[in-house]
Amino acid sequence: MIARLSLTARLTLLFTLGSGAVLLALGGLVGGAIERHFEELDRAELTGKLQHAQHLIAQVDSLAQLERLSVPLGDAFLAHHDLLVQVLGPDQQVLLATPDAQFPSRLQVLETDLALAPLWTWSQDGKNYRGLAATFPTAMGTQVQVAMAIDSEHHDAFLRTLQRSLWLFVACAALLMGLLGWFAARRGLAPLRSMREQAAAVTAHSLDRRLPAQAVPAELADLAATLNEMLERLEEAFRRLSDFSSDLAHELRTPISNLMMQTQVALSRPRDADSYRAILESNAEEFERLARMIADMLFLAKAENGLAIVQDEPVDLAREVRDLFDFYEALADERHIVLALMGDGMVQGDRLMLRRALNNLLSNALRHTPPGGRVTVTIVRQEGQLLLRVENTGETIPAQHLDRLFERFYRVDPARQHAAGEGTGLGLAITQAILRAHRGAVSAASESGLTVFTLRFPY
Amino acid sequence: MKILIVEDEPKTGDYLQQGLAESGFVVELARNGVDGLHLAVTGDHDLLVLDVMLPGLSGWQVLETLRRSGKEMPVLFLTARDQVEDRVRGLELGADDYLVKPFAFSEFLARVRTLLRRGRSGMESTALRVADLELDLLRRRVARGGQRIELTAKEFALLELLMRRQGEVLPRSLIASQVWDMNFDSDTNVIEVAMRRLRAKVDDAFEPKLIRTVRGMGYVLEAP
Repeated sequence: MIARLSLTARLTLLFTLGSGAVLLALGGLVGGAIERHFEELDRAELTGKLQHAQHLIAQVDSLAQLERLSVPLGDAFLAHHDLLVQVLGPDQQVLLATPDAQFPSRLQVLETDLALAPLWTWSQDGKNYRGLAATFPTAMGTQVQVAMAIDSEHHDAFLRTLQRSLWLFVACAALLMGLLGWFAARRGLAPLRSMREQAAAVTAHSLDRRLPAQAVPAELADLAATLNEMLERLEEAFRRLSDFSSDLAHELRTPISNLMMQTQVALSRPRDADSYRAILESNAEEFERLARMIADMLFLAKAENGLAIVQDEPVDLAREVRDLFDFYEALADERHIVLALMGDGMVQGDRLMLRRALNNLLSNALRHTPPGGRVTVTIVRQEGQLLLRVENTGETIPAQHLDRLFERFYRVDPARQHAAGEGTGLGLAITQAILRAHRGAVSAASESGLTVFTLRFPY
Repeated sequence: MKILIVEDEPKTGDYLQQGLAESGFVVELARNGVDGLHLAVTGDHDLLVLDVMLPGLSGWQVLETLRRSGKEMPVLFLTARDQVEDRVRGLELGADDYLVKPFAFSEFLARVRTLLRRGRSGMESTALRVADLELDLLRRRVARGGQRIELTAKEFALLELLMRRQGEVLPRSLIASQVWDMNFDSDTNVIEVAMRRLRAKVDDAFEPKLIRTVRGMGYVLEAP
């Protein structure tokens, strides 16, 4: 349930509870200290009076004086109306007692040393008493017991008042602290609210907006930076997607416009059967190309969404390459291109997809190798990876194109877009998607008349 | 050979019907699942061409009901959606093949002929002959007009395919898949080159020419 509370409410609650607990502990401490202080005051007063009694008792040196002891004792103590006194002679006879003196019996256990005598506390007739008792010797050597108690009512009343005001103070202070906490939390969380507002302003049309990672407190800077990275990825994906749609529309527009024009021109006047046939044949070829493009795009979409990995089986890369060499043998032979394979290696994956990825690289290499050239496939293990390199002789690809080769429909020479023998412009993008689906990567390098595409598989 | 097409898209249905009829098949066409199922159950067809997305009764349902009623004719599914699950589902329900739109008519025709040929295996002949071209499968020899022709292994496989299916226009994709086991379209002219080389050996020095290119469709081998 606490997970659903707002941060402000949570902080306010914690502030209130925390400060309340601290103040309560403090109040308890102060109250206890005052009570102990009162006890000591009472004890000091009782001790003083008992010492006075001791002094009087010590002067008694005859039985007659003992019997008359009540006079000086009475003079000394009976005037205090909240003082209870009881003095017992050696035979437990009462020498002096205040009228309502009723000491609990445990007070009769008497100490001779005042400093060691315990301070007793008890209630009687709705009054609280603290008492001290001791046994003192007379000059004759007999023992006189003296017990005194004082009513601690005025101290207790003071304590009760103090406790009441402490409670009130604690409650008010806790409330005040809560209020302060709420205010501080609101102030402290203000950057979060402003981040929320900024994030709310991000739409598909303003994906370039970023949260102010520099302007927020350190705790939020990480969050803001992470969100910004997410926005960046989204922007990138969104840009690719919209590029893809517009590329697609563009790629389809040219052939469809050709087909439309050709067909309409053909229909504009009567022609002989051979002309119609030629037009239909040309159309059929164009349609086939369009169908292939659509199939490629669907395949690409599936591969990029990780939907296309059907099999996870060991694939012998060298065997796949040899099969593809078989396929391209006639083509290579006719153009006097040498096909060579070195090394071997196994990877886990979907054989048909990997074969397709390899085919795209090979057909690409063959297309760009001049007659008399060479296409070499090398399979090696390196730094924990299995590398498959497809290397062909031919024109060097300028460096600025290398990274973009794997983009859909990207062509080094835009003018060759619809030239005969050109692919759909999706081959390398498909290869990349297949490699990514296999947790691998593909890269291109080209220099001094040698172009190399490298497939990297985790090994 | 009697074929039933169940296809709701008017143009597709019409052209499939026309194309198959012109290739020598007897063709019936149903425009929705209910009619299609009725015709399939009551009729006697050698092959059913079934669109997956049909009004009334889907292709899946038609196939399921059909199989339950004991009809065992081969079924070729047509669909605009290329999803692995769809493919698996179709095959589980007893479809025999699967074509994703858009497809080339030559590809469609080749699949239809393959399905019709299936189940009528009989004895595979060990020698093929078209005009004066002879292919001996046992000794793996080719001769034309009695004159021995040397072919590479792949050229031999290519010629065997063309001769086995003489008179049929074979699309490039089918050739690539049957001869080289490449189940995708290559964007190079590799099939053209292979074909040109085969013709150089089999046709160039002889008359009449047996292998013909059908532009936009594929290749056919037939006696004129």
